[in-house]
Amino acid sequence: MNSQQSKKANQLTSHFFRNEYGKLVAVITRYLGNAHVETAEDIVQETLLKATEHWEMKGIPENPKAWLYTTAKNLTLNVLKRKKYQREYESQTDQKSEMNEIGFFSDELIEDSQLKMMFACCHPSVSENSQIALILKILSGFSVSEIANAFFSNEETINKRLVRGRLQLRKVKIDLSLKFDIDKRLEAVLKTIYLLFNEGYFPASKNQVIRFDLCLEAIRLARLLEESTVIANKTACSALLALMYFNASRFASRVSDTGEIIDLKEQDRSKWDSLLIQRGMQHLNNITLTKTITKYSILAAISANHCISESYKKTNWDEILSLYDQLMLLEDSPITQLNRSVALAEVKGVQAAISTLETLGKESDINNYFLYHFTLAEFHKTNKTFKKAYSAYNRALNLAKNPRDKELLKKKLNTLVLISPSQLS
Amino acid sequence: MREFLLLIRSEEEPKANLSPDQMQQHIEKVGGYLKKLTEEGRMKSAQPLEMEGTMLSYKNGQIVDGPYNETKEIISGYYHLMAKDLDEAIAIAKQDPRFEEGIWRMEVRPIKYVEGIN
Repeated sequence: MNSQQSKKANQLTSHFFRNEYGKLVAVITRYLGNAHVETAEDIVQETLLKATEHWEMKGIPENPKAWLYTTAKNLTLNVLKRKKYQREYESQTDQKSEMNEIGFFSDELIEDSQLKMMFACCHPSVSENSQIALILKILSGFSVSEIANAFFSNEETINKRLVRGRLQLRKVKIDLSLKFDIDKRLEAVLKTIYLLFNEGYFPASKNQVIRFDLCLEAIRLARLLEESTVIANKTACSALLALMYFNASRFASRVSDTGEIIDLKEQDRSKWDSLLIQRGMQHLNNITLTKTITKYSILAAISANHCISESYKKTNWDEILSLYDQLMLLEDSPITQLNRSVALAEVKGVQAAISTLETLGKESDINNYFLYHFTLAEFHKTNKTFKKAYSAYNRALNLAKNPRDKELLKKKLNTLVLISPSQLS
Repeated sequence: MREFLLLIRSEEEPKANLSPDQMQQHIEKVGGYLKKLTEEGRMKSAQPLEMEGTMLSYKNGQIVDGPYNETKEIISGYYHLMAKDLDEAIAIAKQDPRFEEGIWRMEVRPIKYVEGIN
């Protein structure tokens, strides 16, 4: 029995199936064409199912990847044959030779196909809310119910987005050999990855695990871009990676044991993940050597300032405010202004921040956004203008759509009432 | 020690709707459970069955192929297990983590044994 026990068992790396799913769907779609991405998804699901049936009983094979690739290849060839019977004229000689020469699932082909798929999913002809759903389903191997869970949505809604997205995907053609295509689309891809990260980053009482998975997926996709050989200028990729590493380092400290959101001010900084901060720093150092300045570089620098500060009070707010001023030159949006106001409050005082926000509210439609009123309410609370704080929290509560946000706002209102009943009346 | 045959029953293919992550968890959980039993010498054999095959029967003087069982439930795999008695076999079967997924049934049957013969 001892000899059996000492025999080393094969193990799967974490999220092995999920990651392989994305690779396989991307490559098989290359063979079948964008119009048949759903068939590719079915083939891969069947491949993983076969693996599950065998491996649970007989153990994990020595080379699980090769096992999957062989099975997927055979299933794909069967489908291709069936198609060939129906439409003989569709003999794509180019692809056939590609299959034979460099292997059905070569590393090179996997990398190239994943990039192509990423760029295709983020194409402007695919509607924005379908983009993330498609990426998660096709490239990240999430199931419909997992996506629905992560987005506080239901399976029906997510399914609709996927169906629409797959239809739109049919028309998309991406040629990675054209530098023009890549440079033009990279910004959209990075934007979608950042959106995906932020979806995962906002804490919720439920589904903590799957939401952190979204953040890790965003990081994985950005790393694919960073490691790729076809993208010439990777400054923005590295900057986005740095930003995500810095923000992800605070993940564990952002939610209490009971599932409540903890402000940056009150976070236990010893819980911050120093390894992720280090990785962020490495990427940030890489881009300081380049001349390109991107939105993500500045956001990463802001996040880095928080990461290296030993307390909220001791944070270098002057530096952060000047970084926001730089960001305003690149992107003068109400959201940037809103975020800047937090640094402004620390540097110039809360009164200055309040009047800036009040002007902003008059000039833009940001007063339809609950976070605007939330931030304003926090400032009024600090300023001890409790009556104004109370009504701002209430406006935020009316505008918030997400149950998670509503809950937080109700708590804020309650504590406000508890602290200062006399000042409110 | 007595021999038992454990028949894993399910409706259609219950794993087909699991997400890739859930499939991997399934392999890790069920695989770990089977590996431990095999190392203890309790599990003689564990095999999955294909979702195909046929049902032969004898009718009107000849062997008829099909139709397959009317019920949707089919046997998707089996274990050949060693246990002290039926109670112990049941106890072992209950530890199978696949039950956590709530989509399985398992039939636990002692293999017939005649004193002095097998």
